[in-house]
Amino acid sequence: MKTFTAQGFQPVDQLTKPGSRTEWTLKEKLLLGLSPGDYLKQLVRNPLNWVFAIIYAIGLPILVGRFYYGLGWATHSSYDYPWGLFLGWGLFCMVPLSASGFMLGTTVELFGRKDFKPIERLGLLNGLLGYLFAVIFLQVDLGQPWRLIYPMFVSLGPAAVLFLVAWHVATYLTVQVAELVPAASEMMGWQKPKKFVKSIVLGLTVSGIILSTLHQGALGALFTYAPGKVHPLWYNYSFQWFHFFCSSIFAGLSMLIVVSTLSKWFLGWRCDANFLKNLDRITLGLAKGASLALITYFVIKLTAIAHDNEWALLFTGWGQWYIFEICFGVLLPLFLYTSAIRNQSVRVARFAALFAVLGIVLNRLNTALITYNWQLYQEIPHWREIVITITVYATYILVYRACLCRLPILFTWKSDSK
Amino acid sequence: MGMKKRRLLGLTLIAVMVSSWILPGSALAEVFELDSMKNLYEGVSFDHDMHIEVTGDDCAVCHHHTAGTAPAEPLCVTCHANSPEKDDPRCSSCHVKDVFAAENMRKVWDTPRLYHRGKPSLKAAYHQGCLGCHEQNDAPVGCTDCHAMTEAGEKFYHTGTCAPEPKSADQGGGHH
Amino acid sequence: MKKLNRRAFLKGGLASGVAVAAVGSAKKANAAGDFGGYPDSMGVLVDMTKCVGCRTCEAACNKEQGLPAPAKPFTDMSVYEEQRHGGLPRRTTEKEYTIVNRYEVEGREQPLFRKFQCNHCQEPGCLTSCFVNAYTKTPEGAVIYDATVCVGCRTCMISCPFYVPTYSYSSPTNPVIKKCIMCYDTRLKFGRPPACVEACPQQVMTFGKRTDLIGLAHKNIQDRPDRYVDHVYGEHEVGGTSWMYLTAVDAPFEKIGFDTHLGKQPIIYYVKEFLAIVPMVLLIWPALFTGFHLLATRKDAQKNEESES
Repeated sequence: MKTFTAQGFQPVDQLTKPGSRTEWTLKEKLLLGLSPGDYLKQLVRNPLNWVFAIIYAIGLPILVGRFYYGLGWATHSSYDYPWGLFLGWGLFCMVPLSASGFMLGTTVELFGRKDFKPIERLGLLNGLLGYLFAVIFLQVDLGQPWRLIYPMFVSLGPAAVLFLVAWHVATYLTVQVAELVPAASEMMGWQKPKKFVKSIVLGLTVSGIILSTLHQGALGALFTYAPGKVHPLWYNYSFQWFHFFCSSIFAGLSMLIVVSTLSKWFLGWRCDANFLKNLDRITLGLAKGASLALITYFVIKLTAIAHDNEWALLFTGWGQWYIFEICFGVLLPLFLYTSAIRNQSVRVARFAALFAVLGIVLNRLNTALITYNWQLYQEIPHWREIVITITVYATYILVYRACLCRLPILFTWKSDSK
Repeated sequence: MGMKKRRLLGLTLIAVMVSSWILPGSALAEVFELDSMKNLYEGVSFDHDMHIEVTGDDCAVCHHHTAGTAPAEPLCVTCHANSPEKDDPRCSSCHVKDVFAAENMRKVWDTPRLYHRGKPSLKAAYHQGCLGCHEQNDAPVGCTDCHAMTEAGEKFYHTGTCAPEPKSADQGGGHH
Repeated sequence: MKKLNRRAFLKGGLASGVAVAAVGSAKKANAAGDFGGYPDSMGVLVDMTKCVGCRTCEAACNKEQGLPAPAKPFTDMSVYEEQRHGGLPRRTTEKEYTIVNRYEVEGREQPLFRKFQCNHCQEPGCLTSCFVNAYTKTPEGAVIYDATVCVGCRTCMISCPFYVPTYSYSSPTNPVIKKCIMCYDTRLKFGRPPACVEACPQQVMTFGKRTDLIGLAHKNIQDRPDRYVDHVYGEHEVGGTSWMYLTAVDAPFEKIGFDTHLGKQPIIYYVKEFLAIVPMVLLIWPALFTGFHLLATRKDAQKNEESES
């Protein structure tokens, strides 16, 4: 793509073709304004696409095999370990990393911080796609995915935590789609949907906060069903939901910093001046929010240990691992974030974000897989499980990139100069 | 074995009936055929005479307080120190076959202050009564040491002629 | 057979919609802690001191439930040497709803055999965690499962403190949970004991009303303090279970594979704190955050008013 932009090519960013009054057709918009031949050329030129091709060549047959031969063939899920990587990674990691949607919605629409506007849509898209693929991961993991709507309409178990998760993720997905309608409307040249969403944006945002608070917390509460199975240092029936909710705040913000950085590096041609100009300032703003959430999280993690008087456990092998998680995934990013804010160093903030994201992944995998059944034995995911997880995640990245290239997320859609 | 058993059974039945009326309290020099519940296993040929010898004429070892001798268990003695000999000392006179049948359950649990509520079924009375001693005295303890398995039993236990083909067990999922 | 449970009762009163459903769930949770089980539910008292490890119960279960043929004959005692992953003794599977394990306990001459199957909790973790309400605790005491609504999320396997539910992972088209249902369909419903109980030659298991069995268990302990550990496992564990156990003094529960750290609270207790915040968030958040919005944007609003006037 860089080759084309270097030659003076301008990707589609308004309804009409530059210098004329003819409108882009949908096909032209989807091809970014390139001719099919040129579009193909840039696809082939991009080395990342070759990586994807290899992943799909190996992963797709195995993904099909999972549905043909069953979960027993594809995973190490067992009677003792019912959940593996699909949920451990796909649900428990992807959902907190997608909390950016409600965070940015709240910041911009609810608190009126218009200065975060340039990154709001990226936050919303990060949220929507993260949730969408969490559901896709869930579908890969469910024994009978075609019954996904059963908890909604066929047989209700309203007292179950997972019931809340199901309903909230479903409604929240709808909310997030609605929140991104304006972006799609601009691209398609629709007027009414955008206006309608604008009129209910406050309602959408507030329901976003409610649903997010509850389902981020509910993912933590799911593990309160397993006292004794999850290691006590990662288990606390009073605080579990709050640990998950609070950590999702900095997880979402940090993921947004990571994604915006990647966008700037690899999709620079698609970012407009407004985005690029404001990104550094916004990154530091996000860093501030993330560091506040981090320190809160750190305090309540300590509170939980004090609450259950588990100090002695810190001196066991699992305790060392716990201390490592806290140091690497909480204190290190906290330290980096604060020093980034003090020195106005965007580079350091980006490192902090990376560590915070890895820290959250470590925490969720610890809770769901590594310390789970700590009194039994350690389960290691099947290689096919890993391949499928990589394949689905690759699809997530592909869809993400496709959306960023086309929808006015990183750039502002130029309204028609009448 | 079959013919002999059947003849013995006849003898036993007569002996039991006759002895309980005519020879109360006297030791029985017979071999019993315990086969009222044979299904998975054939009946047991029970040498009563030999067991009397082994227990040293102490009927209470097996018959608790029903044979006119004081039971050995201190807990039993508190009530049964002087219990009279029962008219019918056979196990089946106290131990019913279907202990969990609704009728029997009602009888057990609706009788106020009934002490022997956990009384074993006839099958359990035989096994509990025999196995403990057999273990202590190096007598046979294997199932087929006392009673041969029937065809129905081989089907039930998936053994003998009904044994599964040896194959690697597929347990479905996980490490094994 | 009447099977009205609290869930069905609640469900009837539930309007559709997240908010109502979520509030309803919290109500249920509060009621749940005081449930304590159906008064006349049946149970089984397992006297492990009597078990000789003949595996007849396993064979009876296999036959009654129509399970696939075993890998080894039920008369093959070499299964007691088997170890599964992690050096653990064998466990129930999708093809074996009950198994017996042998424990050599230090200081005890004889091995002790332990029968394992679903304990049929008074307030089952599987039931409370199921989001399609596939589980039912019947008034007779059995915890049964409706495979036709199961989505296969396997949360019940996570929430069962005894690791009971198994899953037919090998089936691509119809994987379902497999576990002991106390022979509900074929026996318990008609007042008869489970097949394993009836088949046992030693009457290791006593079938009866749960409340009666608790009395019997304590009487047995009192009669023979030299024989039994003074604890009825399952009387109080995780809110009480329909299956209860007595063990020998020289083979205490913790040495024969029982989890003695489960506590007396049913699994729902640990989830209640979260369920309680659900209605709070649903009711308070909208007003709170709309308020924040008005506060945060009051300067803009003032400006607008000024420019209008």
